[in-house]
Amino acid sequence: MPDIVFQGVSKSYGKEAALQDVTVAFADGVTTAVVGPSGSGKSTLLQLINGLVRPTAGTVQVFGKPIDYSRLPHLRGQIGYAVQGTGLFPHLTVEKNITLLARLVGWNAERIRRRAQELMERVGLPWTFASRYPHQLSGGQQQRVGLCRAMMLQPKLFLLDEPFGALDPITRNEIQEEFLRLQQSEPRTIVLVTHDLREALRLAQRLIILERGRIAQHGPGEEIVNEPANEFVRHFFQTRLKA
Amino acid sequence: MQPSKIRACALPLLALLVTLSPCHLVNLSTYAGALSPIVIGCKQDVEGQVLAEIMAQLLEDRGFAVERRYSLGGTLICFEALKRRSIDIYPEYSGTVEQAILQLPGRVSHAQMREELGRRFRLEMLDFFGFSNTYALAMSRGTVERLGLKRISDLTPHPELRFGFSNEFLNRDDGWVGLAKVYGLSARPVGMEHALTYAAIHERKLDITDAYSTDGDLKKFDLVLLEDDRHFFPAYLAMPLVRAELDDSVKRVLEELAGKMTQDEMQRLNQSVQEKKSLHDVAAQFLRSKGLLTGLQPSSRPETAVERSIDWPFLFRCALTHLKLTILALLAGMVVAIPLGALVHRLGPVSRPILYVAGVLQTIPSIALLAFMIPIFGIGAKPAVAALFLYSLLPILNNTATALLSIDPVLRKVSIGMGLTPWQRLRYIELPLAAPTILAGIKTAAVINIGTATLAAFIGAGGLGEPIVTGLALNDPGLILQGAVPAALLAVVTELVFELLQRVVVPRHLLQKATE
Repeated sequence: MPDIVFQGVSKSYGKEAALQDVTVAFADGVTTAVVGPSGSGKSTLLQLINGLVRPTAGTVQVFGKPIDYSRLPHLRGQIGYAVQGTGLFPHLTVEKNITLLARLVGWNAERIRRRAQELMERVGLPWTFASRYPHQLSGGQQQRVGLCRAMMLQPKLFLLDEPFGALDPITRNEIQEEFLRLQQSEPRTIVLVTHDLREALRLAQRLIILERGRIAQHGPGEEIVNEPANEFVRHFFQTRLKA
Repeated sequence: MQPSKIRACALPLLALLVTLSPCHLVNLSTYAGALSPIVIGCKQDVEGQVLAEIMAQLLEDRGFAVERRYSLGGTLICFEALKRRSIDIYPEYSGTVEQAILQLPGRVSHAQMREELGRRFRLEMLDFFGFSNTYALAMSRGTVERLGLKRISDLTPHPELRFGFSNEFLNRDDGWVGLAKVYGLSARPVGMEHALTYAAIHERKLDITDAYSTDGDLKKFDLVLLEDDRHFFPAYLAMPLVRAELDDSVKRVLEELAGKMTQDEMQRLNQSVQEKKSLHDVAAQFLRSKGLLTGLQPSSRPETAVERSIDWPFLFRCALTHLKLTILALLAGMVVAIPLGALVHRLGPVSRPILYVAGVLQTIPSIALLAFMIPIFGIGAKPAVAALFLYSLLPILNNTATALLSIDPVLRKVSIGMGLTPWQRLRYIELPLAAPTILAGIKTAAVINIGTATLAAFIGAGGLGEPIVTGLALNDPGLILQGAVPAALLAVVTELVFELLQRVVVPRHLLQKATE
């Protein structure tokens, strides 16, 4: 059974329906990008996976079991999570940010240090940054720290919510490359929410196109580019890839 | 002076926390029980202190051990303290018993008052000292003699006289309003500060004002009282108010004072103290002049706050007590308010009432809150700490809840999303981020407490309020400043200490964010 399976999942906020009857299985070991216009339900879909949002109807299965909402911290500990604007804790140093979870689950100091060094090296951050505070880093550096933190416990599952949204094009390009390298060295199931179709095509093997809370098309990127399922998808690709 | 204060004085400031243990406070208030001295209290006015000291010295002369708890803040506090048996005796007035304590409608006989006091509170009025300290109208001797005035009714044919009253007297039914009706007076009095009216008459800017009939200043300004010939003002006959179960031997000694003081004599005693004679000497002299001292017991020389030059060891002890009260209340406030603030934040709107209750506590006037504490804790340090504790709740609670509420929602989402439990979020993310604001709340509470703690002297807790209260009673600005200046300094030092603490505890970039 795939790591993430949605069965007839709907979510509404009051009268507003954010997702309607979504049934989908995410492919294991690859990156799936969720794209669509703003308000199409991308973030809601992502947050259903780690229980930040609970479905109004249907079930979300993670790691082969329906989510146990009474044991969310346990589930979330196995899922890496990074968001736009990094979400680094300003009162903790870079090292403390990265290693917080590992310290809380009781890794020994040596293992924590090794893992942190390894991650920072892999995303191109010098170890001297370990003792700095987030506000002393550039946006790109902060984003890299955010990635390191999300990967600290070697999660099998990785959720990224517009992680590179606020970066300048050059920095974004660099980080995207590092992301690909990381994914090559430690392959895992990744769900990436982005409004940037080019980024989606570059980083993800599979795409989910959302249209007002419903899945318009799901499949490998190339397939969707070549054979859009409907007028909406065709138009979406046309306008988003033109610029 | 309590031995605990002397002990604390010998300790270095750092040992302060050790002396703050709860049992230490218990010692302070049960100290009386061990040696069972007779505890004499009084209000903060000069007359109350003179009467209390006269009773104290008379009892000491007859071999009783006496503990003095002077300058308790007003009728309510003295009465509550007596009711709760924190004190055994204090001087009171018949009019006050009738109107403020028993709150009986209309005039009642003394026998009725005695019966009510015994039945409702197990208290007893002993025999009157002899004088009545009631409202009266005062004029300069010159004017009275020139116009041949003796009684208030003599004023009716003199509408040209200028009346000036304290604002309270001017507006009370049992003040000018009723007086004018009973005597048919048509004058249009002006309202002014009581402290200024005597001087105004002296300088011939005013002819008549209200006065307390035993005010020592009447002698100083050579003012004469007009006879209340229609008995409009109720009698305020002074007497010892005691708890009924007090030993008969004590009551008998106090009744030797019955009828021994005229209005004129009381004026003179008050004047002596107001002219900076020591309370002890004034009382001793009076007792000697009446032949009441046997001289069998060596008279004690109590250490009272009525000191005329700056008494540094005394001030130091006051400052230490002041700090003790403040710090203890602050610590208790932190222990309760920070978790409560976190709870308020977690429970959301449901818990708003907690904030409202804390807000209401803050609006209770300090002296009233102190008085409310007496039935529960008696007098001394305990009720003071309890009241200060209640005052420190709101700033800390409010800042904790607000700081937690204003944490960046992205950080909140991330900390939830990465799998931290609610407790871990609070401990590692939310409280550290809220720390600068919480610290600011603690600072506010500390500064408020240092100010409010000066009022603790009104309920016998000591501190820097002691010289202030005594100074107010004696109208001695020097003495007031001896308490007020160190209290202000203490507040400034507290601000600085907290600023330093903030620098040490909070990373600089968070501090900037917090003060932006």
